[in-house]
Amino acid sequence: MLSERRGVRGVVGVSLLSCLALVATACSGGGSAASTATRGVTINVALAIPSPPKASLAAFTKSTGITVHWTNIDWDSLQTKIAAAATAHTYFADATDVDWSRVGQLSKLKWFHPMQNYVDTKSLAADMPQMTSFTVGKEVVGVPFDASFLTTTVNKKMFADAGITAMPRTMAQYTADLRRIRSKGVVDHPLDIPFAAAEGLSTYWYQATAAFGGTVLDTHGRPRFTSPGSAGYKAAQWMVDAMRQGLVPPGNINTTDSQGTQTEMAKGTVASVFSDYSGNVGSLYDVPSSSTVVKQVGYLAPPGAGGPAPNLSNPDGIGIPQAAKYPVAAAKFIKWFTAADNQAAFAGLDGPDKTLRTYSLPSRLSAVHKLAAKGDLVGASAMSTMLASGTRPVFPGGAPSWYPQFSNAVYTNLHAAATGSLSVKGAIKAIAGTANRLASGS
Amino acid sequence: MTRPPLDTLPRTPQDTGADRDAAPGARRRRRFDPLPYLLVSPLALFIVALALVPAVFTIVESFFRVDALDPPTRFIGLGNFRSLLHSAAVRTAAGNTMLYVLIGVALSTVLGIVMAITLQHRFAGRSVLIAVLILPWALPGVVEGIVWSGIWDANSGLLNSVLTSLHLIDHYQTFLGHGRLETIALIELVQVWQITPLSALLVLASLQNIPHDLYEAAKLDGCSSWAAFRRVTLPLVRPGIAVAMVQAVIATLNVFDQPYVLNGAASTGSSVMAQTYFISFQNLDFGAGYALSLLVTAATLVLSFLVVKFVHRTVEF
Repeated sequence: MLSERRGVRGVVGVSLLSCLALVATACSGGGSAASTATRGVTINVALAIPSPPKASLAAFTKSTGITVHWTNIDWDSLQTKIAAAATAHTYFADATDVDWSRVGQLSKLKWFHPMQNYVDTKSLAADMPQMTSFTVGKEVVGVPFDASFLTTTVNKKMFADAGITAMPRTMAQYTADLRRIRSKGVVDHPLDIPFAAAEGLSTYWYQATAAFGGTVLDTHGRPRFTSPGSAGYKAAQWMVDAMRQGLVPPGNINTTDSQGTQTEMAKGTVASVFSDYSGNVGSLYDVPSSSTVVKQVGYLAPPGAGGPAPNLSNPDGIGIPQAAKYPVAAAKFIKWFTAADNQAAFAGLDGPDKTLRTYSLPSRLSAVHKLAAKGDLVGASAMSTMLASGTRPVFPGGAPSWYPQFSNAVYTNLHAAATGSLSVKGAIKAIAGTANRLASGS
Repeated sequence: MTRPPLDTLPRTPQDTGADRDAAPGARRRRRFDPLPYLLVSPLALFIVALALVPAVFTIVESFFRVDALDPPTRFIGLGNFRSLLHSAAVRTAAGNTMLYVLIGVALSTVLGIVMAITLQHRFAGRSVLIAVLILPWALPGVVEGIVWSGIWDANSGLLNSVLTSLHLIDHYQTFLGHGRLETIALIELVQVWQITPLSALLVLASLQNIPHDLYEAAKLDGCSSWAAFRRVTLPLVRPGIAVAMVQAVIATLNVFDQPYVLNGAASTGSSVMAQTYFISFQNLDFGAGYALSLLVTAATLVLSFLVVKFVHRTVEF
């Protein structure tokens, strides 16, 4: 009887404790007052890339007293997490991803601490050309930690097999070369354009627009692509025509940018990606386990209207959310993470033990130069030249706060034009309508 | 085999008169026992905190302008619902979703019944087969989307390869993205692959309750197998079919992963849940997102009610 009572009491006790735990969990706010402490603290870093090597992080902890807990979340989930946590004013990380396309939105929302309050961003800007992609007015929302930009890649062997001896410098030459590759039967469909209704299609169009000599939006966010003679209109027409004329594999209607590069360019089923990502030659096309075109692919300054076109920036940045528990410690980490020596090490300068897997190109020019000097960077000379003088932000005035809605209109309508369910004129009209509506604030 | 006489059966002490007949003095006042309440309370709190509170919050906030880019939060009545109705993307997604529901519920129910009947009879390896069949149900939708993209892929997909090897096509075909109905049907096929195993198990559970005597009696009365299926099996598995259909309605109305992975945000396959995601987490217009979620919930309730009303029958053996 006694043991039965004890059993009942135990069950009651556990139930009460469970209730209390639930109530406590429900009532406890996620947010907490920020601390300026930098010693003996643990910060959470959430990014869509793997952690730096353990030894590197241990060295950082030893020198600063800050322990880093790293979470690698896929990009889409991370953006949702950032939005959900910021809206609920709850803490989830001390440092996290700042995507260039969301800079306008994040600046307006004040979801991140201004980085200029923690880091000397002015002096960094000279060594980080892509800092402009993270700046709105005087506010720096994040610090670029890699220097991803859009560039053209070509399978030089396929071009040579088609009898092409000089690499194209203009869009007209580039298109003619692609047609020649096709007509010579080197490959059936030489050009990769990822026509799936996803972000990669938007960025491809922005780069193609830059190639035709223009930008997509003006500084007020109004469309600059509505007239048939505009760069944006020509770029859309060129992309859709490439699909209709068979330069692009028909199946690319549902191919994303990563699928396009990984399964088409790396497997040698296309000869060129007009708007590829910097670093892909070293990290993908020259890797025997993932590629059948090792040492065949090289970078090319994007062909333009009358000569090489600018490369649009596509960098990844890191910032400090407003709900961060240890913003000062997070800033110390960001300084370390973006230091030139560390970036060069992450890119492979100091050997594989200090390499950060999937890290392609440092955001600091000085680190790129170091890699180029040591010969550790595939296509280093072309890349450092493009990074130093060729890269431009997609939106010179900063990405508008309504960018995600605009991009959605871009990729859904260009996709529809590629399928034939919409004309290029109709797609441009729909995209422009969305831009005008959003720019006017309605 | 419905149960009309059930109402006439005694069920409670009041019905039986036992309580009425008992002498007042003999009635023992029952002491309040808090134990059951305490035992249930963690789960009840859990449900209240994680389901009811957010549900109420969603209903209330759907009548407010909750836009992180356009503060402050303010009451706008039916404004969110009006803007949703005027959105071409939402209207297209709603039409697509209704097609997902129609195709998904019909196919998963029919296939579920077929699978259940196949699995009803004992045979060697039946348990293993059931375990294997349930696997798609256990897989996340995103994983299924990725797996099936390797089948539908127009450049290097398995289906194109097989059809070419069999000389049924002379060049690779693009299956997804061109025709709306074709795209939706093929995407929904992936979801049907996921939800049918559960439908089959639900129907199988109902099938196993049917006494074998009924089939013997039907046989003695000269019933063919088909007639026995129509007049004995189908009426008696209606509870299982109804539950299977309700779960299919819920899954198909809320489809997101498969269209998103296989067809991106293209209007040829975009679902209402994808629009909810874009509106809430891309545009940060949470008020409209709440409103759209509420509409999906209402549609789920109405369709589930209709299924229960027209398909479900109480069965007693």
